[in-house]
Amino acid sequence: MRASDLIGREVRTADDESVGVITDLRCVQDGPVRGTQAALRVDALLVSRHHTGSVLGYDRERQQGPWLIRAVVRRLHRHMQVVPWSDVDSEGPPIRLRRTG
Amino acid sequence: MKIFQVALGILTAIGGFVDIGDLVTNGLVGARYGLSLAWATVLGTVGICLYAEMSGRVAAVTGRGTFDLVRERLGPRAGLANLIASFLVTGLTLAAEIGGVALALELATSVNYLLWVPLVAFFLWLLIWRVKFSYLENGAGLLGLALLAFGFALWKLHPDYGSLVHQVVAPHKPGTERLNSYFYYAIALFGAAMTPYEVFFFSSGGVEEKWTRKDLMVERANVLIGFPLGAMLSLSIAACATLVLKPRGIEVSTLGQIGLPVAFAAGKVAIAFLILGFVAATFGAALETGLSCGYSIAQYFGWQWGKFVKPREASRFHLVVLLSLIGAAGLVLTTIDPVKITEYSVVFSAVALPLTYFPILVISNDPDYMGDKKNGRVMNFGATVFLVIIVVASVAAIPLMIWTRAGQ
Amino acid sequence: MSESARGRVLDVNLHLLDRQIVDRDGEFVAKVDDLEFERGADGTLYIAKIMVGSRALGPRLRGRLGVWMRSIGERLSTDAIPTIDFALVTDIGSEVKVSATRDDLDAAPLEGWVRDHVISRIPGSRHAGE
Repeated sequence: MRASDLIGREVRTADDESVGVITDLRCVQDGPVRGTQAALRVDALLVSRHHTGSVLGYDRERQQGPWLIRAVVRRLHRHMQVVPWSDVDSEGPPIRLRRTG
Repeated sequence: MKIFQVALGILTAIGGFVDIGDLVTNGLVGARYGLSLAWATVLGTVGICLYAEMSGRVAAVTGRGTFDLVRERLGPRAGLANLIASFLVTGLTLAAEIGGVALALELATSVNYLLWVPLVAFFLWLLIWRVKFSYLENGAGLLGLALLAFGFALWKLHPDYGSLVHQVVAPHKPGTERLNSYFYYAIALFGAAMTPYEVFFFSSGGVEEKWTRKDLMVERANVLIGFPLGAMLSLSIAACATLVLKPRGIEVSTLGQIGLPVAFAAGKVAIAFLILGFVAATFGAALETGLSCGYSIAQYFGWQWGKFVKPREASRFHLVVLLSLIGAAGLVLTTIDPVKITEYSVVFSAVALPLTYFPILVISNDPDYMGDKKNGRVMNFGATVFLVIIVVASVAAIPLMIWTRAGQ
Repeated sequence: MSESARGRVLDVNLHLLDRQIVDRDGEFVAKVDDLEFERGADGTLYIAKIMVGSRALGPRLRGRLGVWMRSIGERLSTDAIPTIDFALVTDIGSEVKVSATRDDLDAAPLEGWVRDHVISRIPGSRHAGE
């Protein structure tokens, strides 16, 4: 399984409703230690309606400028959701979540 | 020693500012529109100052080149589209510069320019292969100062400075010219001042010379003092054309005509300086564009690049530079008029500008990369205004080119 | 991106993919063209390897460009796609640092080919411009 397989994959609820597509994979570094670092574990999916690629970092809390670009990017990704990996029922394609609606 | 370093940087920036695009476009526009389009050069100069300052600061703080970061921010798809467009424009510009060197050598020797092309391309490759980066940059920049012959000629013409200044600050399109061509040439001048390769080169050069935060002062001085003074040189080329060619209705289509005012107003020695200046400015720009062809591709793919390592340690980079030089020389050898190639290269530069400007603007704002050196509010305001201007120019360029049939 | 190594949160697309990989000596190796996961217990995914090269990048580009890039890679080499074990990663910042040297990693076969067949044949390839 590659990152390129998951990113861009559609995500649907148990009722077959489309949530969006995966734009990013949020990982937490709390796995077993490999080499000098703990392994990175996929913790959540960032799912958005538009596949305009990464949010360029403008979704973070901090106010990254310039204002105009931040406003446009936020508007494009205003429906972005963070879906925990534990909510994933099957990887498909498409990704199916346990929840409905 | 610091003062010397700053002075060297500024002088290099002045002499290196003018390339074949600036020479041809300013000469052509001055002969046709007088100084009524000088505002476009001024606007483009402010733009390149902002753009180069941001990308130089990014290079100093992150140690990374432009296309490396473009792919990171825009992703591989948009980054590749960006790379292809920028590479083609840079390649076209390289062809224009090689043509410019050959034309200048023809002026000096009366040997047909086509015969010079292979020699010029070979010599360019040889210098890129062997000579230390800083020698290349400083050498070309300092020799380019010979173009001050235009400033000298301007002074010798004893113009009514007040009237010249009035033409600049209160632009008045000549009645015989159409509005669409007027704006077409405004975009051309803008693209000539804000050529994308200058920024790839400036930021990659910063990595070559291992800039750090401590070098930011010097980098800013180079840009904020050197570039505007370099632009004065561009304006003096336009002013000379305004004073000598326009009244006589001479339309510029050759490099020789651009140098005519110097021949007219100053002596033989000035003409010698002028030709030296032509050769140095275009040759220097060809070195920069050739290297930039390599920088852009290598940085996108993550290859080792640069002159700071042995050629055998950056093999793919050097191969790309070699192939780019061959391709560009080949384009000139098809006997397409180099002045025409130049005119197209500046317009396409304006079209490609937003592609690389946008990611640099985003990255220079990213606190993870820039820390406390990220853009301030004032800078962001100015940079955003220019983003809008650049996008407008980029979108309008091709339609205007078609509508006016490339400035008829 | 929080600073402490353990528990740090990273987004693959934003912080890892398309980053420059730098070796132990600070030399450029390649870009993170793709990542390979492996499964842990109860279906968790862990990042196992960095994938490098045109065959790794191809699938991330849409359409004909992606196919074209992949086929160039396939024509150049029939070995497995070059990978870098993620255990070699020592730091993830504006670049991804790994603990091996570039030669050990052998992640860029094309560079070696160009060096041996083209660049080495030109006199002066061992001099850093002086």
